Amino acid sequence: MHIDYWREVKKSGPGRAGLAAITAVAALAVLAPLFTGHQPGEYTGAIFHPPSREYWLGTNDVGQDIWTHLLYGARTSLAVGCGAAALSAIVSALVGGLAALSGGITDRVLMRLTDSLLVVPPIMVAILAAAYFRPGAALLVFLLAAVMWPGGARLVRSQALAAKERAHVAAARTFGAGRLYLLTRHIMPEIGPVIIAVLVMDARRAVFMEAGLSFLGVADPAVVSWGKMMQQALRFSYLDVWKWWLLPAGAALSLTVAGLAFTGFALETVLNPRLKERDR
Amino acid sequence: MDRTGLLLNYAAALAIILVLNFAIPRLMPGDPLQAIYGDEAMIAMTPEMKEDIIRRFSLDMPPDRQFRAYIASLLRGDLGHSYYFNAPVAEVITGRLPWTALLAGLALVLSMAAGAFLGIESGYRRGRPADGVLLAGMMSLSGLPDFFAGILLLILFGVGLGLVPLAGAVTPYSGLGGMALFLDILHHLALPLASLVIVRISAVYLLTRNTMVLTMGAAFIRTARAKGCPEAAVRYRHAGRSSLLPVVTAAGLQLPHLITGTLFVEIVFSYPGIGTLLYNALLTRDYPLMQGVLLLVTVVVLGVNLMVDLLYRKIDPRVTHAY
Repeated sequence: MHIDYWREVKKSGPGRAGLAAITAVAALAVLAPLFTGHQPGEYTGAIFHPPSREYWLGTNDVGQDIWTHLLYGARTSLAVGCGAAALSAIVSALVGGLAALSGGITDRVLMRLTDSLLVVPPIMVAILAAAYFRPGAALLVFLLAAVMWPGGARLVRSQALAAKERAHVAAARTFGAGRLYLLTRHIMPEIGPVIIAVLVMDARRAVFMEAGLSFLGVADPAVVSWGKMMQQALRFSYLDVWKWWLLPAGAALSLTVAGLAFTGFALETVLNPRLKERDR
Repeated sequence: MDRTGLLLNYAAALAIILVLNFAIPRLMPGDPLQAIYGDEAMIAMTPEMKEDIIRRFSLDMPPDRQFRAYIASLLRGDLGHSYYFNAPVAEVITGRLPWTALLAGLALVLSMAAGAFLGIESGYRRGRPADGVLLAGMMSLSGLPDFFAGILLLILFGVGLGLVPLAGAVTPYSGLGGMALFLDILHHLALPLASLVIVRISAVYLLTRNTMVLTMGAAFIRTARAKGCPEAAVRYRHAGRSSLLPVVTAAGLQLPHLITGTLFVEIVFSYPGIGTLLYNALLTRDYPLMQGVLLLVTVVVLGVNLMVDLLYRKIDPRVTHAY
């Protein structure tokens, strides 16, 4: 498959919209201190202050600047999302690749494990573990990766099995290429795009689950997070504050999740050309 | 994969879940009773109750005996004691279950039916304006978290317009009966149900549309057209019918999302199902109740997924020989 995936994704409408959304959120997250004069934990002296020049989105029930929370919440979401997705994709690639290349009993054992884990609802296990451990960002990354990897592993295995049978792999093998060489030089480039698609989809699920867990109040209360903002703001829905507290947090979360989903759809379309809009 | 392999997968999944449910609380510091029940419950419980729980779950025994006692108590339907409600966990959950079943069941049926219908229509019209609008709309919806959809509807219709009640499943102490009670329940159900359907419809829609697009390019569609079938028959009897197969699988794949979505939406609307129960258990650190809810939900998801897998084999025999 000799397609420039990057260009293909950028060419499709949803792909461009998705990439733009992610880039915007990422820029705000990375440059957070430049856009605000406050710290997330800082007490500003005004409680439920409406939006003003000083507090762009007003202040919350304990007098903290909401705009600052929104910016630092983006950091949490993206860091946890990317971290969990990267870790999960590595495990997927290792398990799937190993199963495909080894075959035999290794393949059977690994795939039995994968298939069993695949039918377990990830968020339920995540809630159970989080309720006891009250995870901070780092532990959350491990927890989410631990429940997310099986789906990707199945995909990587099937793609690696197909790649293994390709002529250029067979040719390399007849020239005496070792297993590691085959994996890194021939099979990985072949299934690289699939792994990137897995990565994007996993990032979307991780951002989603992080928000869900903090919405339930089972994540570390010290971590600033969109889900937590929504949980707290929902208690004051009888006041006007939801307009600049609840909605921005929800909108930011939706934008991030939608951005990742759109990028994922675009990648999927590139990978499965039959879905392409050829006769438009 | 054969049927034995399938059953083996589910058995393994169940075993993994039971072990996790057993092990995670016991990884916490402190003695098992304190770790499982949490500090708050320790204060609320009398010494007799502690004795009783230690005896029932063999908490003073080595781990293997504890595990055996845990499984035995699950088989008896004994999920422990909720200190917050001061009642057996199983009893508390059964009282709330009908509301969740009502909400999730209706949401599943409605989102599947509407998603499949729109998917067929949209896939059939691929590339035309109606399809483009639907596709863009559905893709935007797919990014919406369940609880945020619920919050938006709650604020718009509940707080803003005051059209529907803000919480609960029935008007308390109203003494309604018959038709009036039915309407009251519907009135309370409308928003939570709408938020779930809005979010869940997109997955079914996108899948049906994709299959429909692929099916419309198949040879048998050309044959149907060539023999002079009316377009409506081509759309539904030929293409639509064979596009529905993945929808059955989608139902299974969607179910975990739907159920967790229901839990979150219930929390937003304070709907008295097991989602709200779980949320309260988390807030009050009523760990046995929380474990009970999570275990029940997980087992239900496993059960339904197994049924979908078996059903899928019946509908499409190719699956059995796919490996």
